[in-house]
Amino acid sequence: MFICEDVSFDIDGQKLFSNINFNLKPQKDLLITGPSGIGKTTLLSILCGIQKPTTGKITYNSIDLYNLPENKIDEFRGKNLGVVFQNFNLINTFTVKQNLEIAISAIDRKKSILFFKLLDRVGLANKSHIKVANLSIGEKQRLAVARAFVGDPKWVFCDEPTSSLDDKNANIIANLIKEESLRCKASLVLITHDSRIQSLIKFSQILKLGDEL
Amino acid sequence: MIVGITIITVSILVNQVTKETFSKNNPGLDAVVGAKGSPLQLILSSIHHIDIPTGNISYQNARKIIKHPAIKSATPISLGDNFQNFRIVGTNKSFLKLYKANLISGTTWSQPMQAVIGYNVSKITKLKINKFFVGSHGLIDTGDVHAEQPYKVVGVLKKTGTILDNLILTSLDSVWNLHSVTNKDKLEITSLLLKYKNKTSSFSFPRLINKGTNMQAASPSFEISKLLKLTGNAHRIVDYLSVLIIILSFLGILFTLLNNINERKYDLAVLRTLGFSRWKLFSIILSEGMIISILGSTIGLIFGYIVYESMYYFSIVGRSLELGQLNFLNDLFLIWIIVNIIAFITCLVPCIKVYKQNIRSTLLNS
Repeated sequence: MFICEDVSFDIDGQKLFSNINFNLKPQKDLLITGPSGIGKTTLLSILCGIQKPTTGKITYNSIDLYNLPENKIDEFRGKNLGVVFQNFNLINTFTVKQNLEIAISAIDRKKSILFFKLLDRVGLANKSHIKVANLSIGEKQRLAVARAFVGDPKWVFCDEPTSSLDDKNANIIANLIKEESLRCKASLVLITHDSRIQSLIKFSQILKLGDEL
Repeated sequence: MIVGITIITVSILVNQVTKETFSKNNPGLDAVVGAKGSPLQLILSSIHHIDIPTGNISYQNARKIIKHPAIKSATPISLGDNFQNFRIVGTNKSFLKLYKANLISGTTWSQPMQAVIGYNVSKITKLKINKFFVGSHGLIDTGDVHAEQPYKVVGVLKKTGTILDNLILTSLDSVWNLHSVTNKDKLEITSLLLKYKNKTSSFSFPRLINKGTNMQAASPSFEISKLLKLTGNAHRIVDYLSVLIIILSFLGILFTLLNNINERKYDLAVLRTLGFSRWKLFSIILSEGMIISILGSTIGLIFGYIVYESMYYFSIVGRSLELGQLNFLNDLFLIWIIVNIIAFITCLVPCIKVYKQNIRSTLLNS
């Protein structure tokens, strides 16, 4: 069970959002929507242990995330969470393969057959030796998705995974995320203001930021 | 880093080996009596066979000194010729006792123009028992040879690790015969190597010689310590210079790492999001710095040793030095440890910067 309890966040004394609450059961999906600037990306950072909330609690299977020492939060994120960032956060000087390898080494797991299958599924098997800087936006997005699933995460977070893509590529990415979540038996938390996403993925829960108060 | 460690390594090696060579070459001699001139020159030429002698002294006068009640042992030596830059020393058999020399093969000389050669002489010149060779005038090979009177090798000495390995020994008569000195009253030698019966003579005896004769008595330990003090200052300047270079290399490591971290702060933040903990990144950056430092200091030590070895093999003076002593290893190891400890402390600065990095703001700003 993944619980977000009374989470609030202030910037310079100004409330960005407050009292965010939800429970997410295993293998269920949550869509978080809301207009631009409402704090969706900040909320994602809070949910995956990158940004401490001003108040509130994030619990993964009874583990209070922000009660863990800083080092343990990093390790927890690496081993249990997969994150697709809005700007991908790939290492541009590394190749496609190296970006996946570094993600695997972060969690001290050995490279498995899955690694190659994953590259194949995201359509980057023939581009594994190409540097990320030379990939198209769509390819970077697919690589970011592949990297999020490389450690078989229990919870997956995606921040605006389709907003910069055309309909065709948005469809590919949405399907990929859904399929990989099912394969990993992971819960999916997707944050977007892209209205197309609801027609591409069926979510068990929807949270509209701005309406929560 | 490599340059600094190389210079300091060469400096230590030269310093240590010079000290040890000077110490090993002196078989407990208390004084050297020779012609007036520089006492240091007398010591260097008579014991260490580096410099040219100050001149000759009368053998008749020398014999009076030999019989002096304060003298326990006196060994006359007569220099003047060489074979392929190895000095030919006219002496008597007490010279061999002085260095506790033993023969690998052959015997000692029993008549003029017979020679016993040191270990290195035999190795480098390929001279063997019963082979003949001709000496050249002077102490370095000028090609002006005594072709009419060749020496015959009758013995080869075991390695001693002292200057003896680089000498060719013969009787005093050989040297006198070769230089056609027949008048017994006009016989000359270069110097007398002395041991006192009693160490208290080290004050009175030199005064007696220096004031009462046209000869001088010089103390090996006093002259060599004076020389080492002089060369020690030069070594210190070289050491300060190398320390400065090493400090600059620490700053180099520091700024390289800080610059690297600045350029890679986005990548490091990404690694944090993937699960690399602060400590893991801290240790990666520390390892990078320490690899540079350890490699640099180790290569510096190796280069230093290579430079030193080259100096040894390519210099004529080097023939008077003996390698093989390993005492300097402790000093070099200590320097290696100190350099790497300082490098470790230097590397902590960028590591702490990485440890304190705020990944969210770094990712947002990138």
